[in-house]
Amino acid sequence: MSILLNKDTRAMVQGITGKTGRVQTMWMLQYGTNIVAGCTPGKGGQEVEGVPVYNTVAECVESQSAEASLFFVPPPAFKQAAYETIDAGIKLIVVVTEHLPVHDVMEIKEYSRDKDVQIIGPTTPGIITVGEAKMGIMPGNMFNPGRIGIISRSGTLSYETSINLAKDGYGQSTVIGIGADPVVFTDLPDLLRMFEEDRDTDLIVIVGEVGGIQEEKAAEYIDRWMTKPVVAYIAGLNTPEGKKMGHAGAIIQGDGKGTPQSKIAALREVGVDIARYPADIVGLVKQRLG
Amino acid sequence: MQNGVSCLTLPMKLFEYEGAELFRREGISVPHSSLASSPKEAKEKAQEIGLPVIIKAQVLTGGRYLAGGVRTAHVLDDVERIATRILGSKIHGLPVDKVLITRKLEIETEYYLAITVDSYQGTPVAIISSSGGVSINGTASDKPESVVTKPISIIQGLPLQQARKMCREVGLIGKEAASVAEVLCSLYNIFRDYDALLAEINPLAKIKSGKLMAIDSKIELDDSGLYRHPDIKFDKKSRIYNVLERKSKDVGVSYVELDGDIAIIASGAGLGMASMDIINRRMDSANFLETGGGITEELLYDVMDLVLQKEGIRAIFINVYGGINPIHEGAKGVVRYMQEHNITIPVVAKALGNRQEETWEIFRNHGVHVVDGVSTESGIELLSKVLKEAK
Repeated sequence: MSILLNKDTRAMVQGITGKTGRVQTMWMLQYGTNIVAGCTPGKGGQEVEGVPVYNTVAECVESQSAEASLFFVPPPAFKQAAYETIDAGIKLIVVVTEHLPVHDVMEIKEYSRDKDVQIIGPTTPGIITVGEAKMGIMPGNMFNPGRIGIISRSGTLSYETSINLAKDGYGQSTVIGIGADPVVFTDLPDLLRMFEEDRDTDLIVIVGEVGGIQEEKAAEYIDRWMTKPVVAYIAGLNTPEGKKMGHAGAIIQGDGKGTPQSKIAALREVGVDIARYPADIVGLVKQRLG
Repeated sequence: MQNGVSCLTLPMKLFEYEGAELFRREGISVPHSSLASSPKEAKEKAQEIGLPVIIKAQVLTGGRYLAGGVRTAHVLDDVERIATRILGSKIHGLPVDKVLITRKLEIETEYYLAITVDSYQGTPVAIISSSGGVSINGTASDKPESVVTKPISIIQGLPLQQARKMCREVGLIGKEAASVAEVLCSLYNIFRDYDALLAEINPLAKIKSGKLMAIDSKIELDDSGLYRHPDIKFDKKSRIYNVLERKSKDVGVSYVELDGDIAIIASGAGLGMASMDIINRRMDSANFLETGGGITEELLYDVMDLVLQKEGIRAIFINVYGGINPIHEGAKGVVRYMQEHNITIPVVAKALGNRQEETWEIFRNHGVHVVDGVSTESGIELLSKVLKEAK
């Protein structure tokens, strides 16, 4: 069934009556996503693309047994919506919203820590289980069904990687964006674990980016637990070096981490094949899978 | 792309004097000080404050001391002479147009205090060291026992008892531990109240009278949180020195100026960085630019204008996906700009996703070279070819 999402997942959309919510709901339904409800406070009783709209998440859960939710809520409404959604018992939340205050993300991350919910994002294109369902904003025509899992820090590069692979006959099981913000809800190692345990995935491609230590943590995880091959590309080799976040950043993160070079070194050390440029990913996948 | 994060989340750095203002509001003591923007004014302020004084360049970069941006003056003539030298100079490439004149205090002990974000764990973190000062980075690696780092529950906050415990762990005792702990809690309040990503005091000095004073401030606020702090009057754009980067804030995109002559317009940070990586193999990128998910006809019209304001652009490479972005609308903005401004340099566009065929047609009808392949590499190949033919 690939990871996190399949054609039976009962999905709902929060912020469904907004411009983006409407357009994206149409694309998702066209792709085959099982969208059972929408939620916008004060707009209960309406319909969007034939999907019933409710005022609260709890109603979506009670009336339509919604189990996963896609967020198009604007930043000022995010925190309250997240509390409501977690408390209503939704098991998977995908946060497409950009420009969320980092403090709000940290607060919800802490609140969700000991609860039975997986949150993806923020600033993610979402999740697509190819040929079955998509919860997100990715264009469906970039993907082909197959047995490669893709985890990407960047939305656009996950599309590019998928279509590059498809050209050579390699399709994807699930493609997921972890989100581009400094703090994300679900980290790279968590997703690697899910792909490692997934019977429909043979190889995982990581599309990383300069900054943060997600890729370094992924390397630690791969070293300890992974049996499936991993191929990676890290964008931003030519990024002009930014200034550090005061001394505190270096103390927390350790000096010299977060650069493309440190990420590449850490991943290479544990046997990950590194693509120098995005299209090189295809050649490396070919070598591994034959 | 500081700290690697997509440009969307660049923090807003505060000047030392702005940070000191937040400290004052929260009850953290700071030395008597005054801002000056001319040598004459510096002299007057020094007279008011009383000698000796320290003259500190107000510039948004670290390492000011080693770069000569922090100097002590014992007589008024020295104040004028030093201020003349610092004002108008550049520190790490950034121009200095203000100095802060502060009372020189007799310092007995220096501590380091900070609250920041542990991005990977997703929690605030408090850091405290019993040996603060300019060499704090070295201290962290040479004498790790003098530095204590603790995650903070953002839901529960930083209780005074936890702050006191941290102080004891770096060897502070008694009243000293209690009063440093209070400052740490105040610093955490600032961090929370203003959506900060970093709130740092280095050093927090114990002066002769026993009082604790924040001698320097380093504060970075989360750009995405600014909307809920209308009381922060600090002008955000004034601290972006690059003219085009400042303009990009008005347009609403992330732009970083580079040295080359191939302009990039990308619809995502990763795609922009990858385009840059590939272009720089054989050519030189003029900029990094990403629109995020907000493409409209108007936006791409403005973006064309922005990238072409840089002198000597040889070609424009557009790399966009139609996911959340209506790329067919964006294409209309590009070609309208080209028509109105009679653009003759090559424009190469790779556009895939929802409504790609419609987008290609708009581009093709107006002389934009549309990339047939699906990889960014194939787009750059077309770009090189078009440039060669144009010669």
